[in-house]
Amino acid sequence: MNLRRTFAISRRIANAFKRDERSLALMFVAPIVVLGLLGWVIRGQGEPETRLAVVNAAGAPGERIKAGIEQAAADAGITVERVADEPAARDALRDGDIDVVLVLPDDLFANQSAPPALRFITPGINPADDGGRVARVQAALLPALAGSAFPTIEPETIYGSPNGDQLDAFAPALVAFFSYFLVFVLTGISFLRERVGGTLERLLATPVRRSEIVTGYSAGFGFFATLQVILIMAFALGTLHVPVFGPLPAFSVGLGIANAGSPALAFLVALLLALGAVNLGIFLSTFARTELQVVQFIPIVIVPQALLCGLLWPISSLPELLQPIAKVLPLTYAIDGLREVLVKGADLSSAALRFDLAILAAIAVFLAVLASLTIRREVA
Amino acid sequence: MNPESQPAIATVGLTKRFGDLTAVDGIDLELPPGRIYGLLGPNGSGKTTLIRLLAGLARPSSGSARVLGVEMPSRSNLEHIGYMTQADGIYAELSVWENIRFFAALFGERDDAALRHAIEVVDLADRRDTPAFELSGGMRRRLSLACALVHTPQILFLDEPTVGIDPALRVQFWGYFRDLAAGGTTLLVASHVMDEADRCDELLLILHGRLLARGSGAEIRRQAGVPDLEGAFLRLGSDEAPA
Repeated sequence: MNLRRTFAISRRIANAFKRDERSLALMFVAPIVVLGLLGWVIRGQGEPETRLAVVNAAGAPGERIKAGIEQAAADAGITVERVADEPAARDALRDGDIDVVLVLPDDLFANQSAPPALRFITPGINPADDGGRVARVQAALLPALAGSAFPTIEPETIYGSPNGDQLDAFAPALVAFFSYFLVFVLTGISFLRERVGGTLERLLATPVRRSEIVTGYSAGFGFFATLQVILIMAFALGTLHVPVFGPLPAFSVGLGIANAGSPALAFLVALLLALGAVNLGIFLSTFARTELQVVQFIPIVIVPQALLCGLLWPISSLPELLQPIAKVLPLTYAIDGLREVLVKGADLSSAALRFDLAILAAIAVFLAVLASLTIRREVA
Repeated sequence: MNPESQPAIATVGLTKRFGDLTAVDGIDLELPPGRIYGLLGPNGSGKTTLIRLLAGLARPSSGSARVLGVEMPSRSNLEHIGYMTQADGIYAELSVWENIRFFAALFGERDDAALRHAIEVVDLADRRDTPAFELSGGMRRRLSLACALVHTPQILFLDEPTVGIDPALRVQFWGYFRDLAAGGTTLLVASHVMDEADRCDELLLILHGRLLARGSGAEIRRQAGVPDLEGAFLRLGSDEAPA
């Protein structure tokens, strides 16, 4: 390996970036904008309004329960609407005037041996919305129905804090996902342009070795991935309070996500992942003829990884057939490693973290070999 | 063998097949150094494939090619070879100087004077820091040439070097090629522009991957019995046309 030639390739990537403001923005501004937006949405989101109507079909004894339920719901901030009967309630649901109908059925007291069954009716347009609203009504009713004997719950967690929000679990995963995705797209297109623009042909007419090309590319894009990961981490983990300045009110920059471990280790995880992404980009550029075709790899290569890697759902909850697939994806190990470090505060004495790092390094090396095999002197 | 008498390019039965297509078909050549060879033929006749075989970018299906006495493909031999591809093959986001410096580094050329010389030869010194995407087509062609000769190669393969450049620059290019040959460099210039042919020391006419004729422009015209090279090409080609 000739270091001078390798360095020349890295430097040429850096020089090209210098004049490509859009790619620079994609690499450094886009992740911050998306993370910032996500933080805003998750933390600033209010409870959706829940409009409840209670229908009593259980006669006079039901009236007392209905009144109790309405009182408890109103106390919990739920809007209580009045409807005449079940058909009227269903019409109101259809018209979008109410969100949840609770029916006290006529057989409410028929079976003395079983606890009474209540019926919830929701529009069923967005099951997640419906579920959230029903849960809210249930939470409001439980103490009322169970009486004062109902125990209160004191949450406690091993890692992080019980008040942590979704962002705490999301942020490590997103740090990994961004660098992986953007580095893959930029390398894929950059190398595709080498192939179709005739520069690869020229490169191969020089004494350069393919290992030097792959290493030069890894170092060149690795350098920008490094800067990107530093920036994303600083934004995700830090909080910078900006005091009142002129007409601007005080505000803070950064998500201030609780960080238990060493940022340097988290950084190492993200960097190994990015090196894999560089070489995946080089490898897959072989199978594309245009930039558009590189973009077509996103739904094929990136989206399934995002679904399976543990970013959205835990891997153990995936269907059995998909679990082995999740276990060969680099993102899976990067996200696990980042959670080990950032959430659990793991250091190198943690076997789980060492395993993640080893697998990520192995995947990066494997993809580098694969990438260099696609760079052949005989291309036409 | 005495290096002076060693041919710059020597091929024996050089053949390259792509599936059913024989792009280069049993070419035997022995070309002494320090001359300008014109590789003439219509589009698709095998010119580029022949150059790629000689430049070590493709492996022969059969036969062999030796360049500067070394069997190709040979990575280490590429230090002595310059190749200006048909496409410009330069980096649009890099400046003129950065492009030249990049290829110089890959060839192991460490001398800044060589870089400055290359940039002056193609008359781009005043565009040194201009990014290539701001250059005109002719300037990009010149930059492409500079990148091919920055390491002062002993052999220069030029694939359609003057396509898309104006007549004045074409004259300038040929003047420069002539200087290089006078300095001992061997040039193989692929072209389908017949009026460039007479600027070469020797012509190689190629059709369907086969060597049709070889000699100076005058010799080939005489051999075909016609007054111009286009006519000679058509005449010689019709004798060779595949069934």
